[in-house]
Amino acid sequence: MKGNTSDTPRQPAPNASDGERRTDRARPPILEAESLSFAYGDVEILSNLSLSVDAATVTALIGPNGTGKTTLLRTLAGLEEPTAGAVHYHGPDVPREIGYLPQQPAFRPGFTVAETLSFYGSLVGESRADVLARLDRVGLGDAADRRVEALSGGMTRLAGIAQATIGDPPVVVLDEPGSGLDPGMSRRIYDVAREIAADGTAVLVTSHDMELVERSADVVAVLADGGVAASGHPTTLADRFDVDSLLDVYEAAVSGDHSRVRVRGETA
Amino acid sequence: MTAEGADAKGVGDTGTTPSTDQPTANRATADESRVPGSLGRIGRVVGREVRTVARTRTYVVLAVALAAVLLGLTLTGSATAGYVPTVADLLTPLEALVPVVAVAFGYRAIVSDAERGELDVLETYPVTAWEHVLGVYAGRAVGLLVAVGGSLTLAGAAVAVSQEEPAAIYATQRGVDSPILFARFVVLTAAFALVVLAVAIALSALANGARSALALAIVALIGLLVGLDLALVLGLVEGVIPDAALVDTLAVSPLSAYRGLVFETVITTAAGTGPQAASPLASLVGLVAWLVGSLAIASWSVGR
Repeated sequence: MKGNTSDTPRQPAPNASDGERRTDRARPPILEAESLSFAYGDVEILSNLSLSVDAATVTALIGPNGTGKTTLLRTLAGLEEPTAGAVHYHGPDVPREIGYLPQQPAFRPGFTVAETLSFYGSLVGESRADVLARLDRVGLGDAADRRVEALSGGMTRLAGIAQATIGDPPVVVLDEPGSGLDPGMSRRIYDVAREIAADGTAVLVTSHDMELVERSADVVAVLADGGVAASGHPTTLADRFDVDSLLDVYEAAVSGDHSRVRVRGETA
Repeated sequence: MTAEGADAKGVGDTGTTPSTDQPTANRATADESRVPGSLGRIGRVVGREVRTVARTRTYVVLAVALAAVLLGLTLTGSATAGYVPTVADLLTPLEALVPVVAVAFGYRAIVSDAERGELDVLETYPVTAWEHVLGVYAGRAVGLLVAVGGSLTLAGAAVAVSQEEPAAIYATQRGVDSPILFARFVVLTAAFALVVLAVAIALSALANGARSALALAIVALIGLLVGLDLALVLGLVEGVIPDAALVDTLAVSPLSAYRGLVFETVITTAAGTGPQAASPLASLVGLVAWLVGSLAIASWSVGR
């Protein structure tokens, strides 16, 4: 597997000032959330949130627990209906527009990895050979004949990422792909995400791992209080907040008492 | 937010056509002709379900147990007397066994995928809710039909080798025993099983988790086996159901409809006489309504 193994954060485009980036917007984003609101009953999770995602980038959503990262991701993937606002997909007309990796991926037991992915592949016309190539790409080629219930957590996540790319969807959303994994596996998963983006796919991830996000993401959106508190390249954000790291950006952008769990809709 | 990375590129706004500057260099070119149509997608889901049933030991054990019970009842019952006496022997046990087996085959079919998050994943593929439900149903139905049909075929074979008098091949007149009548019984039993399976699939789609699926399955079994018949009796006693309408009203309960159809098309036919037990047409309509209605509810629930 090729991939970006550098420890240095990815740099924004030279001379990419905000104004110039707006000029780039002559090409619309591939996925766009417009004035999204989402509520569970009386509890409003997202409030008038707007966000756009470009092709060939890794976009990371970060923010405290309970700020609606997963809800936003699922809404963008079309799995949740917003209470207000809309999601616009501007990509090509393909059989599968958005690939999805759940936070805790699991597969039907009793099948091998190759059989499982072949089933999904068959729904969009991919052959077993296509699916095996996808497994090779995420480094799971040797586990193709292993039963899915015998996979480790990291291997299941990688199989899930391979599944998310089946049909070459122009947008791939990954919900906390590195969560609960050892550092090596987490890094590997983010390397795979970068490779997918390098092929032109818009990759959208949620994460709490600031170090990996800083190293891998082209764009970071900090969610707080139901909206996007700040967004931009990690380095640009650090400059804007006059801090040294994405973690510092996070702490500066997310106001309030960090020793308390923030619960949307309540006053805890 | 915009792409700020050095390799960021855009996508054309044509909505349906990738722009020429879209970064697709390393992306495999999708061969649209290989993308299956609706029937093809249903077929893929059916294949997955059939393999699941074949590889799940519980279903295999259930099928073997059903075959053993039916074979035992046949051999210790009226196998030597013929096919129709065997039908009379098996009917009551099957009224309980078929719903139990059918519910076992279906009650977790959809809720398990939902719990694993695979329903969400499938939603990102070009598979509609009704295609998915129909595929799951058809796949499970294959397993159920093998279990029920296979067991009854064994019972029929046991009658064929145990019968003391040779049976007439064609039931050309009333009062004649015939393997054709037994085959009719097998078909009716299979149809009943398919209806209960559809109900189980609907419950599986409505359930929030494995536990609620089990609870719903138990409630459904009680309702199907006892509840609806009791309601019919109560309706008759209270005068809600007129005596004259009873034969048609029995079609409301799948169990009564099945029982009525067996009586009307197998037992009474062989006996040559007897009171009308049910309206075959109403019973058939009732069974079809339960089947279609259940699958419609399942599709609605998966798609919501």
